[in-house]
Amino acid sequence: MHAGCYARMPAATVVGVMDHDLEAARRLGGTVNAKAFESAAAMLDELRPDLVDVCVPTPWHAEYVCAAAAAKPRGIVVEKPMGRTIADCDRIIEACSAQGVPLFPAHVLRFFPEFVAAHAQVTAGAIGDVVCVRTRRGGPFPRAWCNWYGKPELSGGVILDLIIHDFDWLRWTFGDVDRVFARALTARQPPPDEVTKDYALVTLRFVSGVIGHVEGTWADPAGFKVTFEVAGTDGLLEYNCNQPTSPAYVAALERAEGAGPGVAVPESPTAENPYYLELAHFVECLTTGAKPAITPQDGREAVRIALAAIESSATGSPVSLR
Amino acid sequence: MAVKIGIMSMAHMHAYSYAGAINSIANAELVGIADHDAERAASSAEQFKTRAMGGYAELLAMDIDAVVIGSENSRHRELCEMAASAGKHILCEKPLATTIADGEAMVACCREKGVHLMTAFPCRFSPAMTRLKACVDDGSAGAVLAIRGTNRGRCPFGWFVDRDLSGGGAVIDHTVHVTDLMRWLLRDEVAEVHAEVSNRMFGREFDDTGFLSLGFSKGVFATLDASWSRPRSFPTWGDVTLSVVCERGTLTLDMFAQNLVVYSDRTGGVSWVPWGSNIDQLMLQAFVNSVERGEEPPVTGEDGLRATEVALAAYRSAETGVAVRLR
Repeated sequence: MHAGCYARMPAATVVGVMDHDLEAARRLGGTVNAKAFESAAAMLDELRPDLVDVCVPTPWHAEYVCAAAAAKPRGIVVEKPMGRTIADCDRIIEACSAQGVPLFPAHVLRFFPEFVAAHAQVTAGAIGDVVCVRTRRGGPFPRAWCNWYGKPELSGGVILDLIIHDFDWLRWTFGDVDRVFARALTARQPPPDEVTKDYALVTLRFVSGVIGHVEGTWADPAGFKVTFEVAGTDGLLEYNCNQPTSPAYVAALERAEGAGPGVAVPESPTAENPYYLELAHFVECLTTGAKPAITPQDGREAVRIALAAIESSATGSPVSLR
Repeated sequence: MAVKIGIMSMAHMHAYSYAGAINSIANAELVGIADHDAERAASSAEQFKTRAMGGYAELLAMDIDAVVIGSENSRHRELCEMAASAGKHILCEKPLATTIADGEAMVACCREKGVHLMTAFPCRFSPAMTRLKACVDDGSAGAVLAIRGTNRGRCPFGWFVDRDLSGGGAVIDHTVHVTDLMRWLLRDEVAEVHAEVSNRMFGREFDDTGFLSLGFSKGVFATLDASWSRPRSFPTWGDVTLSVVCERGTLTLDMFAQNLVVYSDRTGGVSWVPWGSNIDQLMLQAFVNSVERGEEPPVTGEDGLRATEVALAAYRSAETGVAVRLR
């Protein structure tokens, strides 16, 4: 997704693609006319890229971002969640700041038009003072390399990998979180080695007094769906999943190869896709020197909320974030 | 012979729906309405073409088989004990009581007097709900893992926001229906309750917003939105929804999603006109049938008590900031 976006940007050219699986690097590189590498060090040495985009599985973010920072590119994009642990996030932030490299955590929800519009409505006071907010995100279980999504110690499960999107948007819109309470399938005893479904219900109280509820599912074979609502003293704002959200036309086609593996990536029925807008924003910031809309601290805070929810789901007690 | 029914208090708006339902049921007869507000007794008796009684004692002295209690929540116990002592079967509006002591006393009194006590949980009679329960019961969806529920509505104001009469605000009003559905679906009891409760929607003494997290004794977890978070301009009173996450998929229910959307320049707004089954009528029919056959009602006083217990635990959790263990 990211490679295709950069390839379409007038201001950018994809010069290299690195993957431990060289064939995978070649396949993606071939689609964007970029050279394939098996090693990050080799790619950074040879190409000296202006921008490095780190999309490896979460637990390796710190290692790759630190390696990229040492090569002093003009900027680094790190896919959400920024790190598997707070120590990872601190390492990443420290490495980038030591080299003076701008770091952009890819919280794409801030570029989804429905979430941007809701943020604008709420901050403009359209529904008065906000009292409570609910979000829902998820669909089938994601299938990827070595089923790393199914190993909670790697992916952090549905809480760290998926609904961190909502945590970031909620924090952007409603401010810092005071405490969280959560229950999740992956916290059930005894914890399975490898899971094939995950589901979490998280209750949050924000410092502002707003209370929130976030539902995340990797257990719904009916397809990927997102809904949210925000209720305030003067009204209610709904993003209704019954609307034809993505894409605006409806296609029901049998695929020749049948239902294959994959990770659901929501499409958008708007002229430019949110992933493109997100990455183009950072590229533009690097060109103009403007401050990116998402800070490294934002990426770290979203991880902190998610880890607190995971802790709560394991202990059965609310976890304070103050 | 029709089952003869009297109504004790029309304080709760649901009593009007129940009165209409009784009148539409072939084997039931609405014999009279008593109310501590004599004017309300008179006007509702006229509306439902029945007799306005001089008082509760007068109603209970009539040749009736059963009563429907539609009073303010904190008056349920007194009316329940009067009716049970007079040997009448009882359908009591929810929440069953405003304290555990009252609820337990009601259940015990009815048992002692040999009358049946049913809690008014009409959602169990929703065809959508019975269909969902069948999918769980026949095992086609696999074991239930988790449930996300909502019962959101507009704030009813009036005595509903007077703690002495209602026992609380949105949380006691809207926790019990969906808690009962979850208990019924899972055949299990809530073991632990955590809640975030707020009064910021109206900024008054009563709670208007509550997000509950429930842990059931066999391990299923759930959340429930029991909030008066629908604004006045919302096209209907509120909702009951469930999302039941099972081993083989997710079953969803939007209980009142059978409606026309009407945009009217006469009223200047958008409204939803329901066309779904009348669940109050289905519930009253079940109550009437149980009285006629002398059987235990399909929903009991115990059911009402267990659901009330969860709402009261939610308040304790909100006060203390920790999860409250019930069993």
